[in-house]
Amino acid sequence: MGVRGWVTALDEKDGSTVWRAYSTGPDKDVLIGEDFKPFYDSLKGKDLGVSTWPAEHWLNGGGTVWGWISYDPQLNLIYYGTANPGPWNSNQRPGDNLWTTTIFARDADTGAAKWGYQINPHDLWDYDEINENVLLDLDIDGQARKVLVHIGRNGHMYVVDRKTGEVLSAEPYDTVTSIKTIDLKTGRPVLDESKHPDLEKVIRDVCPASPGAKDWQPTAWSPRTKLLYVPHQHLCMNYKTSEVGYIAGTPFVGATVDMYAGPGGYRGEFTAWDVANKKKAWSIAENFPVWSGTLVTAGDVAFYGTMDRWFKAVDAKSGKLLWKFHAGSGIIGQPVTYEGSDGRQYIAILSGVGGWSGAVANAEIDPRVRNGALGFTGATQDLPTYTKGGSELLVFAIPKDAAVQAQTSP
Amino acid sequence: MRKPPSIALLSVALLGLFGFSSMSSSEPPPPSGASSPSSSDLIKTPVTRIFPGDVDLAPKVKSPVADDAAAAERGRKYFANFNCVGCHADNGGGGMGPALSNRSFIYGGSAENIYLTISQGRPNGMPAWGAILPSNVIWDLAAYVQSISKAPETQWGKTTSLDALKIEQVPAEFKATPDPWQFTEPFTDGQKPNGE
Repeated sequence: MGVRGWVTALDEKDGSTVWRAYSTGPDKDVLIGEDFKPFYDSLKGKDLGVSTWPAEHWLNGGGTVWGWISYDPQLNLIYYGTANPGPWNSNQRPGDNLWTTTIFARDADTGAAKWGYQINPHDLWDYDEINENVLLDLDIDGQARKVLVHIGRNGHMYVVDRKTGEVLSAEPYDTVTSIKTIDLKTGRPVLDESKHPDLEKVIRDVCPASPGAKDWQPTAWSPRTKLLYVPHQHLCMNYKTSEVGYIAGTPFVGATVDMYAGPGGYRGEFTAWDVANKKKAWSIAENFPVWSGTLVTAGDVAFYGTMDRWFKAVDAKSGKLLWKFHAGSGIIGQPVTYEGSDGRQYIAILSGVGGWSGAVANAEIDPRVRNGALGFTGATQDLPTYTKGGSELLVFAIPKDAAVQAQTSP
Repeated sequence: MRKPPSIALLSVALLGLFGFSSMSSSEPPPPSGASSPSSSDLIKTPVTRIFPGDVDLAPKVKSPVADDAAAAERGRKYFANFNCVGCHADNGGGGMGPALSNRSFIYGGSAENIYLTISQGRPNGMPAWGAILPSNVIWDLAAYVQSISKAPETQWGKTTSLDALKIEQVPAEFKATPDPWQFTEPFTDGQKPNGE
């Protein structure tokens, strides 16, 4: 929409603003000062949030903060990612477009930036990097490290030293054609130049598609299995840019997008990722994007939902399906577990499809026009034959006695 | 932070950008050979044909570009230039704004109804463009919206069965046309489109 993103800290007692940090513009607005020590040279310099844009474009350059904020109480730092630059048509904004698609570490009390790391300099594909940052203390290559795991929209699993902003590894966890590799010396992706989105040119087979290999839907970490459970999509796209003018109050896009199933014909996946060893442990292919959150319990059971209405429980070690339930609508909510006042354990999930991926099933959108919903219609156009919108809270009790589990319907 | 431009300034900017010559009158001259309906007639355009009593409420106005075959193509360009495409999507497939591709119009599907919808704005996000765009641009947009709405089948109500979806449009990245329903191919169930 041609906006300018920021994050704000409010006083929880009276709601007054304690600090505000913009994602673009001069250092004083971004709260970049003496303490700012980015690991990579391309991120060092004065007012890069202005100089990496065409004149004045940072004023409506995007970089919104609509995802998750993590907190490390020992370091007193918050971590979050900023969204894509606007417009989607990258030809209108030469430069790295800092500080969009950037992970920031900030002092929680003052907002002062400690380090920043831009994941997609001059983003080409709407790979906004608002996805969660999972803070883990891990043994990596025999060394104890305080890391941040960022499950990138651009299809790479970033493991970052959360004190310094150094990228320790960035391995692809889904099909990626837009980026050849992440150069760990510079921190920058090495792009496939044959896919550069020249104005009005149709670029085919761009993987991942604009929602990324994973969007906002949060992962879950099990300290027991040492695996990260990743609900995600498996989509590629055709993409054509066009000139767009900024008109306040209207979308600022300039791209024709058409998404579809990735290689293998399936559109989603539930992946267990071995963070320390930088590889997939196992995965389950799903027909539709896995757009729900996930939950893993101390009983080594992982839960997730599907857009075609299934709520599933799988063995956290092997991925073996243990149980599933057909809900009234597709599931894009986030499962939770809790102990009730009766002492029993419960699992709760909302069903009710919608959002970017599911809009074709619950909004006035034509499944026969692939470019609808910023191109997501192409990828989920058959969803209306599986589900409509809904609003249902499902709560399941774990059986009291494991011996009667087989006979008890939840 | 920069303030959003005022409506008047925005209007000047847009008109300058797209080359309209006259800003002195609120109603630029209509295309030659047609006359614009008066505002007082236009406002009486009914959005439904369900009325009590035996009355004839056929619209008294007619789009000045009703017989202009080039209007829809001009409208296609305005649809992109004024960011209509951002909400309604390429070929009007729908997104943040509703689909315009399926003959379903809450506020009426005649060119006159669509003109009023664009001019006055509608609830839940449709801006009022009447103070910003010249009326001939809005008529061209209405012609385009009517053109893209001509889906091949009409049916009562809305049902979806497993085999209900048989065709899809050739996607907009491969075909730029004011008449996308003339170019269809078999439905692909979320797989890659068939081609050019």
